[in-house]
Amino acid sequence: MIGRLLAGAACAIGLAGAAQAQDAEPYNVFLSMSYIGNDWQAEASNMIKALAASEDYKDRVDLEVQVAGPNAQRQIQQINAMVQAGADAIVVYPISPTALNSVVRSACSRGVTIIAYDAEITEPCAYNVTIDQAEAGRKTAEWLVEEMGGEGDVVMVTGVPGTSVDTARTSAAKDVFAEHDGINIVGEAVGMWSQAVARTELNKLMATRDWSDIDGLWMQVGCYTANAMQLEAGQAPEALLPCAGEGSNGGRIQMLPANAEVDGASSPYAPMGAARISYASPPYSGALALKLAVDKLDGADIPQHTTLPLPLVTSETVELCETGSWEEQKAGCNAFQPSLVSNPGWFASIFSEELPQLGLSAALVGQPER
Amino acid sequence: MTDQTVVSTPRAGGLTALRSLKRSQAVIVAALVFAGLMLLNSFLSPYPLSYFDISFLASGGATTAIAAAGQTLVIISGGFDLSAGAVVSLVNAVLATAMDPANMEASVPLWTAIGIAVGMGVGAVNGFFVAFMRLQPIVVTLAVMFIVQGLTLLIMATPGGFVAPSMAAVYLGDTLPGLLPAPLTLLGVLILAWLWLKRTAFGVALFAVGSDPEAARATGLRTRTVTFFTYMLAGGLYGLAGVFVSAQTGSGDPLAGNALLLPTFAAVVIGGTRLGGGKGGIPGTILGAYILMIVVNLLLSLNVSAYYATIAESAVLLIAVLAGSLSKDSPLSHRLGELKDAFAARRKGWLVSQRASADHRLAFTQPSGTAPKLTFMQRYGATLRHALPAWLCLVLVLIATQLVLGGVFTGWRYWDALLVLSSFLAILALGQGAVILTGGLDLSLPWCIALSGVLMTGLVGGQDAGLLVALPVVFAVAALIGLANGLGVVALGLSPIVVTLAMNGILQGAALIWSGGTPAGFAPPALRWLMTGKILGVTPVILFMIAFAALAILLLGRTVFGRHVYAVGNSALAARLSGVRSGRVIVSVYILSALCAALVGILLAGFSGQASLGMGDDYLLPSIAVVVVGGALITGGRGHYAGMLGGALLLTAMQTLLAGTALPFAFRSVFFGLVILMAVIALRE
Repeated sequence: MIGRLLAGAACAIGLAGAAQAQDAEPYNVFLSMSYIGNDWQAEASNMIKALAASEDYKDRVDLEVQVAGPNAQRQIQQINAMVQAGADAIVVYPISPTALNSVVRSACSRGVTIIAYDAEITEPCAYNVTIDQAEAGRKTAEWLVEEMGGEGDVVMVTGVPGTSVDTARTSAAKDVFAEHDGINIVGEAVGMWSQAVARTELNKLMATRDWSDIDGLWMQVGCYTANAMQLEAGQAPEALLPCAGEGSNGGRIQMLPANAEVDGASSPYAPMGAARISYASPPYSGALALKLAVDKLDGADIPQHTTLPLPLVTSETVELCETGSWEEQKAGCNAFQPSLVSNPGWFASIFSEELPQLGLSAALVGQPER
Repeated sequence: MTDQTVVSTPRAGGLTALRSLKRSQAVIVAALVFAGLMLLNSFLSPYPLSYFDISFLASGGATTAIAAAGQTLVIISGGFDLSAGAVVSLVNAVLATAMDPANMEASVPLWTAIGIAVGMGVGAVNGFFVAFMRLQPIVVTLAVMFIVQGLTLLIMATPGGFVAPSMAAVYLGDTLPGLLPAPLTLLGVLILAWLWLKRTAFGVALFAVGSDPEAARATGLRTRTVTFFTYMLAGGLYGLAGVFVSAQTGSGDPLAGNALLLPTFAAVVIGGTRLGGGKGGIPGTILGAYILMIVVNLLLSLNVSAYYATIAESAVLLIAVLAGSLSKDSPLSHRLGELKDAFAARRKGWLVSQRASADHRLAFTQPSGTAPKLTFMQRYGATLRHALPAWLCLVLVLIATQLVLGGVFTGWRYWDALLVLSSFLAILALGQGAVILTGGLDLSLPWCIALSGVLMTGLVGGQDAGLLVALPVVFAVAALIGLANGLGVVALGLSPIVVTLAMNGILQGAALIWSGGTPAGFAPPALRWLMTGKILGVTPVILFMIAFAALAILLLGRTVFGRHVYAVGNSALAARLSGVRSGRVIVSVYILSALCAALVGILLAGFSGQASLGMGDDYLLPSIAVVVVGGALITGGRGHYAGMLGGALLLTAMQTLLAGTALPFAFRSVFFGLVILMAVIALRE
């Protein structure tokens, strides 16, 4: 209640509110997630919870988490209910970039800060925290073209058709491939951003092809699986095709040189010197959105659109962490021991300069650092 | 025949009033549940409910309510419409791409009419195939759903576009400022239209067709025309829902409506409409849609953990449907009565099982010594007639694959991939097929698969030895799931769709709670070898599948259990009177289905090396499609596993062909729908 009044006051008088906020009632912040059935969403929600539970935020934020599932109508209703329940700020993983516009507009008009992470909300009063999806598609495609020496046949595995993220990444990559006459796209599978789907779709693609017919792979999710499938088909680890794809820990471990010493590795979740570029929408974007929301409630100015640095890791820059603390990641490591991260599909791009509260255990189990 | 025709006979006022009260029990219960939830919510909420909140609540539930109203019509007519959500997306995409961004004051009646017309167009396609080609509604609308989803992506590849603000002003504004929000007016008009429609000749015929199509035909009703217009009308309502979404969001999203499909079913059944047809109405459905919406608010007010959300929703669905159907004629009270009778009979020693086990059979039931010799065609003709089309279509797809991609008839690689990939659907086809043969439907497969996979990898600890513990536990859990489904259908007398839909939600919650959001662990090496290893170039699971298929054909075709399944599916009453313990048969098919789903969960985990939570999502609709394309009747009693196996291979071969081409996803979806449609046209009697 007081937090809510304060939020209004803070907005009105600007930065002056920051000092008062320290010993006032905590802010009511709600999280509306879309779906919790995959690793990325689970990690993102763990990191948000960890931030809210950290020393810096635990007295300042009351966080309540709700899930809308895949139905945009439900999320509209949920955001509505959150506004009615007295939210100061709502952190949203938007199911649709456009469907939420009217409810977001009305929430803004009632003084609620709406901040979206990973995907975008197009309504101008909402704040967004994302990576540049087109840049991700372009950079990875450029790496692949260079790795292939500018010619050869490429197989693409895309995301969920009809979403803006998938369209932006895929068309940027195709633009790069189109610039090189030597590059042919010989197959395109719909991977739905899932390792399991990527495997069935790749199996369908490879039913009428041999791995030796292909020179390179461009994927949104699925390099880890593609490497595993090549090993099953009897390819030598040195002969793995270059693959531009997701930032899963399984993929990062595969990128380590074959003689690297790691704990708990078992093939295919093992170092094999795979030629890779690994990128991801980092799962810390939700936690950063929460931080920005609190900054905003404190009266600070935050940018309407925060573009996160694209976490790109290649076979040259991959480096194993021992414990996965924030300090250690700051020093440059970007892959985690399989003994600590038992799930190879788990996303490894969890480091943010701005969030020293969050290390490996934040993403794994929702525990802040220290 | 139906409740409708009774009304015309004048009766004493009191009796009629009581009768009409009883008839609308479900609607009244839905209204009470809604009012109760609203009260609870406003009690929990720190702020009083303002007009503004009511206005928002009204617009939040309107899309589901309008689309579900269309679904209600189809279900009353005895059908089933899977294309509802896809049509909502299509209309949203059409409006958002066709409207001129410079024109802020676009004509609302014109664009509403365009939206409704697009919906009616799709509805007419559904209606044509269901009514005039006499194809099964569930397959027709499934095929149309794929086609419409493809078309939508062709029209609009990515969210965006423009919908004039004048639409929002009309649909989301106020009819009476401060008193009546526009969405409520729209729904009010819909209810009035329904009350009028019910009393027209068409309305009466709609109920007649739904309760007994043969009788309706015999009394001279033009049942086909009625069915056709029902689908068209329903399409128009999905179109209106699409118009509403467009107004509400001010733009387009090609996936906007797809997730609406299951909520519309939930709204329809909560509102008291009987699945199978002949009873129900739009007012109940609208209440059902708003109950679903207010639950979202309640979960928030009660701060229910996200993991428990689907469990809580399933509970609301079950309670609302159960309360709406309780009466002394309901199956639950019948079962309780029977139990009491059986108990009393046992005390008096009258129970059949207590009599001396002498042979009481009458002489004429003795099998005659000389059975007439049946020719091959007499014996197997009907089975072949229904099982062959899937295999013929498969041959066509294989030839097409050879022509387009090559490698089909020249090597083993293609066959190995095809057989491994189709094994999941082939296993599901036995369980789902057995359930469909008894006239049911199992919608709990997706999360039964996921829960089993997640349980297995969690328990097994990555070691082969762990399987000795994990497999019995996983199958025991699955058997319990099937038992609960079966008891829900038999003892509570609920529609299989309601029970298994609720079970799916409960299992989703269970899987999330067990795994904490990220499933841990791996499939053990033996399982991975089964799915990805090689024995003389053949993936081992293929050998397993050959044995599985042989056993499945024997189980359904050559055992007492199999014959009971067919008997129950053809007529539960006749089977029961012939001494088949129909309740046990129905419970067993749900257990069989859950066991098959668990097996698929385990194999999928072996295939991918690990389990993931969403891994069952892509198997629900295909599992139904495979069974029906394989020649089974969705209402039960007809079908053969050999046909379903052909269906599984056909669908997988089709997907493999489409995946191998460079066609955009939108075209693939359209093609996939067309092939399903062609396969069922070939099945036409």
